[in-house]
Parts: sequence; structure tokens; C-alpha cells
Amino acid sequence: MKPSTQLLVIGYGNELRTDDGVGPRVAATVAEWNLDGVEAIVCPLLTPELADPLSKARIAVFVDAAVEGSDRVQLSKLEPNESCQIMAHAADPRTLLALARDVFGRAPMAWWLKIPAKKLEFGQEFSPETRLGLAEALEKLRGLCRSLQFSA
Amino acid sequence: MLNRIVIDPVTRIEGHAKISIFMDDTGNVSDAEFHVVEFRGFEKFCEGRPFSEMPGITQRICGICPVSHTLASARAGDALMAVNIPPAADKLRRLMNLGQIVQSHALSFFHLSAPDFLLGWETPQSQRNVFGLINSNASLARAGIRLRQFGQEIIEILGGKKIHPAWAVPGGVRSALTEGGRARIREWLPEAFNTARIAFELWNKTMETHQREIQTFGNFPSLFMGLVAPDGTWEHHGGKLRFVDSSGSIIADQIDPQKYYEVIGESVQTTSYLKSPYYTPLGFPEGLYRVGPLARLNVCKCMGVPRADAELEKFRKLGRGTVTSSFLYHYARLIEILACLEYIERCMNDNELLSDDLRADAGINSFRGVGASEAPRGTLFHDYTVDRNGLLQKVNLIVATGQNNLAMNRTVAQIARHYVRGNKIPEPMLNRVEAGIRCYDPCLSCSTHAVGQMPLHIRLVSATGQVLNEAIRG
Repeated sequence: MKPSTQLLVIGYGNELRTDDGVGPRVAATVAEWNLDGVEAIVCPLLTPELADPLSKARIAVFVDAAVEGSDRVQLSKLEPNESCQIMAHAADPRTLLALARDVFGRAPMAWWLKIPAKKLEFGQEFSPETRLGLAEALEKLRGLCRSLQFSA
Repeated sequence: MLNRIVIDPVTRIEGHAKISIFMDDTGNVSDAEFHVVEFRGFEKFCEGRPFSEMPGITQRICGICPVSHTLASARAGDALMAVNIPPAADKLRRLMNLGQIVQSHALSFFHLSAPDFLLGWETPQSQRNVFGLINSNASLARAGIRLRQFGQEIIEILGGKKIHPAWAVPGGVRSALTEGGRARIREWLPEAFNTARIAFELWNKTMETHQREIQTFGNFPSLFMGLVAPDGTWEHHGGKLRFVDSSGSIIADQIDPQKYYEVIGESVQTTSYLKSPYYTPLGFPEGLYRVGPLARLNVCKCMGVPRADAELEKFRKLGRGTVTSSFLYHYARLIEILACLEYIERCMNDNELLSDDLRADAGINSFRGVGASEAPRGTLFHDYTVDRNGLLQKVNLIVATGQNNLAMNRTVAQIARHYVRGNKIPEPMLNRVEAGIRCYDPCLSCSTHAVGQMPLHIRLVSATGQVLNEAIRG
């Protein structure tokens, strides 16, 4: 099956929990770039039906807030899980990739873009660290789009 | 000596819960309790908020049925303003609720429960899940995911996003269906109908092989409650309340949901954050009633659409007066999926859904307003009391899982009686108890309100606190 989407960006998190909303913000910004072949999905959490659009993408980038780990934006390669339990609203990107592969026939090349998160209380203002991370993440995605011969 | 088996937590449901099974001196099961051990407190912290914010706030209770909460909340707002919303807004809300029922029922049937039917009770839990289903029947798993996606798509087309759409508001809705959206729904409908057909074929085979489960999974007489249209037809958004007893006799009918508190009382147990509503005229706990797909099919005269009505006729042959086995919630869920698809198809020819007359506006005209709607799991009530400025003074939410609480207890006890002897905790019993709970598709996010999952922990404890037996999963 030939991918119908060149790049799929899935930004997930709770937009009302300050830094946790950075994934959705990244995806919303990518959507505003309005590039042919690039799709962006904003969602609060990863649900099984995302496996369908994933299977139609050549490359996928999951964008999430990371509470633990580096203070810098991290981009890491993702491989599908061999198999695991999937819950209604508690999926992991690797589980979704496995679901795309096993149910819809293919999983895209995928990366996990993690942006540092420092505060998760109610609110819509990002912390300074996450604001910096947001800019860096968008720069990385611009670079990816350029390398895929889109312009952003 | 009183013994107790604890199943903590129950998996493949929405939220945290544990089950205690009480045993008598002779080693037989005497009773069971389904405990919900998380607390979220929406009813309390919403006090002081403007009522107009409630459709947005309360839908955050749940990631599975946010639409149900936002619609019930908007209806409560309509009642506070004492407005009749424009017909187009009412039809659009109904369309979104149909999409919500489809997506939620598809999730329950294909993702959460089908692994039990298809893979068998003896299959290890690590394989008895949607991945096991994929290995066994990938096309069915794909169809199930796509059917849920279809329901989510309707929600997104109307509300702008699949989860937590800020769309329904007191007085109406924010936007209409577009021609493009209508075309997308129309295009997807044949596939959705085909998936429903496949699901019925699967279910027919399941019924042949699961006669014992039909007999033992919550098969007892009870009352049933749901919304019905003025002529008794199946209703999901609007309509009035009807109660029937297990013989099918209507014991209360056309009760205005604004006055639900005249027939529904709420009991609180010290062991659970889940409230236990009951039918007031019979008292607690005799007033046990069930809600949700099984109840809605038991209270209605007909579905109002031909293919679902044909299935309803077959369904009714499984009982006398009413169908009392909770295992048949799954069948009822499928019939409701089919009905929803037929109603959605019917909607597609209604140009009023494209209208821009979508909102009625008014100030506070009533200090108390109730919104009732059929959520996938059963009747949902939002009851708000406000001051003259529209600030909430009191909030009461009655959700489906709470209303089914007493029935879930009885279901667990019934299953355990068939499989528990002495101090043994047989694996098939654990599987079946969990599956018995899943018949109700409980949403603990809504009822208390929490999310998540943990491994399974079961303990058999004597009245003196001695652990007689223990099993841990995951």
C-alpha cells in the first residue's frame, strides 16, 4: 500500500494543563503551514483509530510533553511494539504503530519528539523552558519538511 | 467465618475498581461488591462557576463519552434559561449523540469485549485483548476500529474535534453541518453498515456458544429505565423517562426528566465513591434498576427504524416480557449501533441540519434545570441549581455506571456462585467476573471520576484478616 500522506504530525496532550498542551500546539502550528502532503492531528490522547491515518503516512512524528529526561527537545526513532494491550485512552505511540502494522498492514517510519515540560497545573501558559522547546521543536519539523522537499 | 475475595483492579474497563466477593461459613459466595476507589469531585468544584461554562467543564469528566456530558449539560442550561432551542440545533445535537453512541459501543464491543467472546475464557489474559483479536481475526479488528472512527468522525465534523468539542452550548450549538461534512458521512455509511452486519454474524455465533454465560451473567429480574418518545419509541436525546419491571409492565411512564428526583433516590455506601441510585417508590435496595442498551431496548415499544426493529424482534424472543441477562447488553449494543446508523442515514436527507439558525438566548428564567440524555452506557442527568446571576449553587450528576452499580454487584455474586468453591480462586472465575462487569461497559471516569489501569490483584481474606489465597496478574 502506497502512503497517501508524506508526513503526519500527531501532537497530543491536555491543552488545559499548561506545558502538557505543547504537543497539540506544535501540531496546530504545522497544520497552519498548510503544506501539501503534510497532515497534522491535534488530540488529547492517543486512541486506537489513529492507527488508520498512521498506516497511510510515509513518516510520522509524535509530539509530546516530557516531564522527565533532558531539558532539551529530544527526537528519537520509534519502532512498533511487538504486541501489547491497548486501552481505550491510554495508548503509547509504539503500541499505535504496532496496531497500524498489524491491523492496517503497514506502520510508517516514526519519530518521537519530546518537549521538556516543567509545570502541569491548570492553565494555558507554557513555562519558559517549554516555550523554548516549542520553538526548537518547530524548527526541527521545519527541517524535516525541508528535507522532504516541502517548504515551511 | 466470613471470607472475602478481592479483585483489584478490574481491567479493560474505563477506570479503577476492585471487587470483593464475600463468602459464608460453608465456603459459598454470599454477596459481592464492586468498589470504586477514586474520587474526582466534579460536583463540588463546579460550584460557583457560571452555568454556561458547564458543557465545557463537565465533558472533561471523560475521554470516552465527553459528548454525553456536554449534551446533558447544554440541556440543563436550556432548562435554566427556559428556552426551546431551534429545531436545527436539536437535530444537530441528536446527530452528534448518535455518533457518540456508535463510537462508544464500537469500542466496547470490538476492543474491550470481543476478545472474550472470540478467544475464549481459557486464553491467557496477556493474549485475550485486541492484539489477540488481531491475530485471530484482523479484518474484524480493523472493521471495529474503523466503525469507532466513523462515530468519532461525526463528532469531529460537527464539533471541530473528536474529543472534548466545544460545540453544544446552553440554547443550542455553535455550528451546523456542512455540505462537505455531510458528503463524508454519506460516503462512510455503507462501510459502517457492513461492519454492523459482520458484528451481528459474530454475535449470532457467540450466542450459540455462550448459553451458560447468558444464563449466569447477571440474569435476574429487575426494573429497567430509559428515555422514550411520547409514543414509546426508542429515544436517546429528549423524550421522557419510563420504568418497566422484569415482566415488561410499565410501572412509571412519561416522567419529565426535570422531576427525576421524584422517582430516583441516591444511596451512598461507605465502601465506594460510586453512588447507588434506586427507584424511590420501591426503596433501597429493592428499587434496583438497570440502564443502558439492555434497559433502553426493554423499555421501548420499537426502535423506529426498520432494520433495528427486525433485530429487536429477535432480541425480545430471548426473554419473557423483558430480556434480563446482562450478557445480552452486548447484543443490545449492536442493535443500537444499527439503529444509530439508520437514524444517521435518515438525517443525511434533512437540509435543516445545514441551517444557521442554531441558538436561542435568554437570561436565567429558572433557578433549577435538569438535562437528561441517553449516554451510551445509560441515562445521564445533569442537575444544576443557580443563583440569579447564573452561578452554580449546587450540582448533581447521576451517571449510568452509578445507576447500574447494584446490578453489577448482583452480577458478580451470581457469576462467583457458579465458579467459586472454598478458598480456591479459579482463573476462569476471574476472567468471567471481569467479563460480567464489562457487560455494563462501566465508565468509572464518569462515575467518580478516574482513568487508568493496573495489574490484577486478587486476595481471599478471612474475617480475621488472614490472607487465605492470593493471585496477582500483570
